[in-house]
Amino acid sequence: MLKPLKKLKHALGRYFKGNPAAIIGTTIVTTIIVACLAAPLLTDVDPNRRVARGHQPPSADLIFGSTRAGKDIFSQVLYGGRVSLMVAFTAAIMTTVIALAVGVTSGYVGGKTDETLMAFTNILLVFPQLPLLIILAAFLGQVGPFIIAMILGFTSWPWGARVMRSQTLALRNKEFIVAAETMGESKWRIILIEIIPNLISLVAGMFVGTCLYAIGAQAGMEFLGLGDPTVVSWGTMLYWAQSSAAFIVGAWWDFVVPGTFIALMGGGLALLNISIDQISNPKLKTGAYIKIWRRMKAEVEARRKGAAS
Amino acid sequence: MAFILRRLAFYIIAIFVAITFNFLIPRMMPGDPVDALFAAAGGRIPPEQLDAYKEMLGFVDGPLWVQYLQYLKSILTFDLGPTIMMFPVQVTELLQRTVPWTIALSGTATLISVVVGCFIGLYASYNRGGFVDRFYPVFWQFMASMPQAVTSLFIFFIFAMTLKWFPLGYGADPDLDPAFTWEYIRSILHHAVLPMVTLFVAMLATWIFTMRNAMVNVLGEDYITMAKAKGLSARRIMTHYAARNAILPVVTAVSMALGFAVAGQIFVETVFNYPGIGQMMFKSVGARDYPMMQACFLLLVLFVLAANFIADVLYVLLDPRLRK
Repeated sequence: MLKPLKKLKHALGRYFKGNPAAIIGTTIVTTIIVACLAAPLLTDVDPNRRVARGHQPPSADLIFGSTRAGKDIFSQVLYGGRVSLMVAFTAAIMTTVIALAVGVTSGYVGGKTDETLMAFTNILLVFPQLPLLIILAAFLGQVGPFIIAMILGFTSWPWGARVMRSQTLALRNKEFIVAAETMGESKWRIILIEIIPNLISLVAGMFVGTCLYAIGAQAGMEFLGLGDPTVVSWGTMLYWAQSSAAFIVGAWWDFVVPGTFIALMGGGLALLNISIDQISNPKLKTGAYIKIWRRMKAEVEARRKGAAS
Repeated sequence: MAFILRRLAFYIIAIFVAITFNFLIPRMMPGDPVDALFAAAGGRIPPEQLDAYKEMLGFVDGPLWVQYLQYLKSILTFDLGPTIMMFPVQVTELLQRTVPWTIALSGTATLISVVVGCFIGLYASYNRGGFVDRFYPVFWQFMASMPQAVTSLFIFFIFAMTLKWFPLGYGADPDLDPAFTWEYIRSILHHAVLPMVTLFVAMLATWIFTMRNAMVNVLGEDYITMAKAKGLSARRIMTHYAARNAILPVVTAVSMALGFAVAGQIFVETVFNYPGIGQMMFKSVGARDYPMMQACFLLLVLFVLAANFIADVLYVLLDPRLRK
């Protein structure tokens, strides 16, 4: 019982030590996620109910003020965060699964399959994402969060698929894969047991990266009025703030609050991504480790000089 | 040469995929978009125009392939018909007005961020583990990860609405006549500052990381050790040995980024009310102006493809290993 806990503590300690980006990023992201999940505990106000006069500034009763329609922004931002985070996670899971499937199949099977899949991937890759999303959403009419997640999931996998493929190609000729093939293991077993576990750090990085992208893309699409404005989410909050002229009447809290949540979530996820990168690619590492390494190098050189004289 | 021809073939296929996508999308959606479009226009468009639109969008009687050929014909002859939101104006004419603004804005912003980012990246790799190396890339990445819709809103609110340092919209002062005078140019520059700062913040981190990581890779090469062994100064090694080779991935990334930057400034142009393609696309979405929307999309795809092609050509020119 205690042993796995200790192991976990050790692993976490190694992840966070001397890595301020990881500490700050994890703190921001977990705080926002927990706050959104605990929304019913933190507020008993219905985000869709009119509770005050329009555009009331932040006060003791309304921590973040009210919207033009008199809704409590604090409650909206927490409940809206659930929708936004849900969209981001769904899109990220879809993207990661598709990218993994396409990339590993392409890289491991090779031949004609590889050529066809990569031709398709490369063509999708050169399409500018944002205009593509806008065209799709515009023709579908005002789309709900679920459709947004689907659109994001189906359009953002090509880059990840390429990365997975090149990593699979690099793994394919390693001894342990050749050994597994010689032992007559099935292709499925090799893919699932031998290859995919070695892609885990890439998968984690990709998942976080796609979450980050999906938060921004969803907020952007809804901000442009392509989403369903009756659903409360961070993007539609920005949309309503913009369309109710919050700027002009000076009701800054109406867009600063959802904007800050989106920005913090984006920044926090980026920090997580950087720290994952530094672990999976130690060559690019910076930070305290380099200092330790430099000190050790100086000591070794000093000893060498001492020995020579 | 074979490499370039192969890439060219790839881009031509990609263009056809984009056109086909544009062709299929209205057909996969429920309802007839031409009818919907007329309903949205609300009597601004004469009914005679209906047939012309149907022909232009390929909604002619006949099997799908006849419709497709009709659509191809209208695209390849640049006959995109009139817009809906500003009815008698042609789509191509409206687009022509927006393109220079977008290209000038994204081009300048990209170049500035590349130059600044490369210097920071170079400096960071030169002083590995120093303050700049530890703090700058992470900080700018944090800034860049804020969605552009949010950063542009904040910058707009603080510097244009509250402090009133910069104008609230347009590419230049609408009272001035467009002319090659100092006054007009100054007005253009004044209007471009905030959108450019937003794009700069969004892009800087990419270049810091690209340059720094390219440098880190190059610094591990044997010829760097050789240069050190020769006793060259650290500065000379950095500029003449490392940076020259590290710049290769940066140059090709720049030309690719230029294409994507043109496609990616929809939010910035919308928030700052800047008269470019992005804002045009946003407006056409609001007006349900499908012909305009599709034309914007196609144009943006063309930009990205052209930029990618230039990147390929540059790669061949700069890397002798590919020229064999």
